[in-house]
Amino acid sequence: MMAAMTVKTVVDDIADGGAGIKVFTLVDPDRWELPPFKPGAHIDVHLANGLIRTYSLCNDPTDNKRYVLAVKREADGRGGSIYLHDEIKRGGVIGVSLPRGGVPLPSHLTGFAFIAGGIGVTPFLSVAAHLRRIGRNDFVLHVISRGPPPLADMLAPLLQSGHVVIHDTWAGPRPDIVQLVGRPLADALIACCGPVSMIDAFEQASCDWPAVHVHVERFVAPPLPVDPQARAYVLALARSGQEIAVAAGESMLLDVPASCCGGICGACKVEWLQGEPVHRDRALSPAERERSLLVCVAGSASERLVLDL
Amino acid sequence: MPLRPKLAMLYERERNNAMLDIVTPESDAAASMWSGVVRHLHITPRAFLPMREMRELTLVAGKGIEGDRYMVGREEGFYSPKPEEGRQITLFEFETLIALKRDHDIDLGVDEHRRNVTTVGVPLTHLVGKQFWLGETLLEATRLSIPCRHIEEITGKSIFDPLINRSGLNCKILQGGIVRVGDVVRSMQ
Ligand code: FES
Repeated sequence: MMAAMTVKTVVDDIADGGAGIKVFTLVDPDRWELPPFKPGAHIDVHLANGLIRTYSLCNDPTDNKRYVLAVKREADGRGGSIYLHDEIKRGGVIGVSLPRGGVPLPSHLTGFAFIAGGIGVTPFLSVAAHLRRIGRNDFVLHVISRGPPPLADMLAPLLQSGHVVIHDTWAGPRPDIVQLVGRPLADALIACCGPVSMIDAFEQASCDWPAVHVHVERFVAPPLPVDPQARAYVLALARSGQEIAVAAGESMLLDVPASCCGGICGACKVEWLQGEPVHRDRALSPAERERSLLVCVAGSASERLVLDL
Repeated sequence: MPLRPKLAMLYERERNNAMLDIVTPESDAAASMWSGVVRHLHITPRAFLPMREMRELTLVAGKGIEGDRYMVGREEGFYSPKPEEGRQITLFEFETLIALKRDHDIDLGVDEHRRNVTTVGVPLTHLVGKQFWLGETLLEATRLSIPCRHIEEITGKSIFDPLINRSGLNCKILQGGIVRVGDVVRSMQ
């Protein structure tokens, strides 16, 4: 299939978010509306050095011409944040994925509590902006930070309106997550985003809560097509001699022309030579399947599948 | 207008069928005398970006729609790596949106099907290979549009299957001009 296409954005602004954080504002080159997102959603940022990193959007979804990301420079991280901090300048072009995920905010609930560790505050900035805009004031955001909280400028209006509680662990004791989570409520939602240790503590503290009222913000990969039978296999290209490992449920990453990407148009038809293809298309006849498959949907039941490519 | 040979053969066969001798070439010609209207117009400058509703579009013959992703020279659409004349302008039946709601309980907005023109009263699927007027512009339909998986990703709605065979029409622009909401769409016949 064609390589993943991304949404083309331009870096419109880079601001200092304090505490080693830079706030990037991405816009469309023509300032067109960007693909919509839910409060607290995240996007993958495709960097020129081949790295793909996931960041929460911090702005209100109705602010639909900008993606605002806050990135903390992680000196001993895997390189994505360093690249963004050191290499990306205003006017630079960045490809991003469509936004995914978001914090569920059922309107019938009567209260929301969010617990954020450090830079984990980002999704809740978007959520808070959304809630305030729709006139919901029944939420509280706990920010646990070492030293002054990150993104002070963005937090300031929420501090002023009394929606934020800062827990500075340098100035005072570490807050007890159990206490912040509190006793289970039937009509409230609690959510957490932060370091793994904090999420673990949060999950433990909230195990008595109804699962639908508990949200942990994790950066999840895009969902794969659901096929419990799918297996990993090796794709061998007979003519070029190439061998490609394909993970279970993944589509063959081959550079063949594609169109519908859903197994109905036949644009991505190739001949197969050996193995046991799983066709999943709705275009080929049984006779055609004896020799051909459609790359966009086909998988393999055998360990190895050989294509005439 | 003379009937094409294949069609004439079909009529011949039908004439031999006593039950159908009330159907004449003339009555069939009358049946193709449809006319419809432009209900919505949309463009977007790049793949994945939301479609923006417009009051009018400028069509350039042989090229596309000004400001749209598939305009020749712009090439910023999802399918731009696979150029095709029929991407110059695409049309979609408003009636399909009604059918999606009725048959599948799916609310699909006029800005979500990602075609440029939403029509009412135009039998789009009958027009492949034919020329027709869209307001003051003249189009030729090259093929039926095919739904694309990435529309599910963009809209978050499971619409790929329900859109098979009714995903609109791909056309090339023979005569350019301005198309406005409310313009009449009519057959060349
Ligand atoms: S791209 Fe249409 S069948 Fe594969």
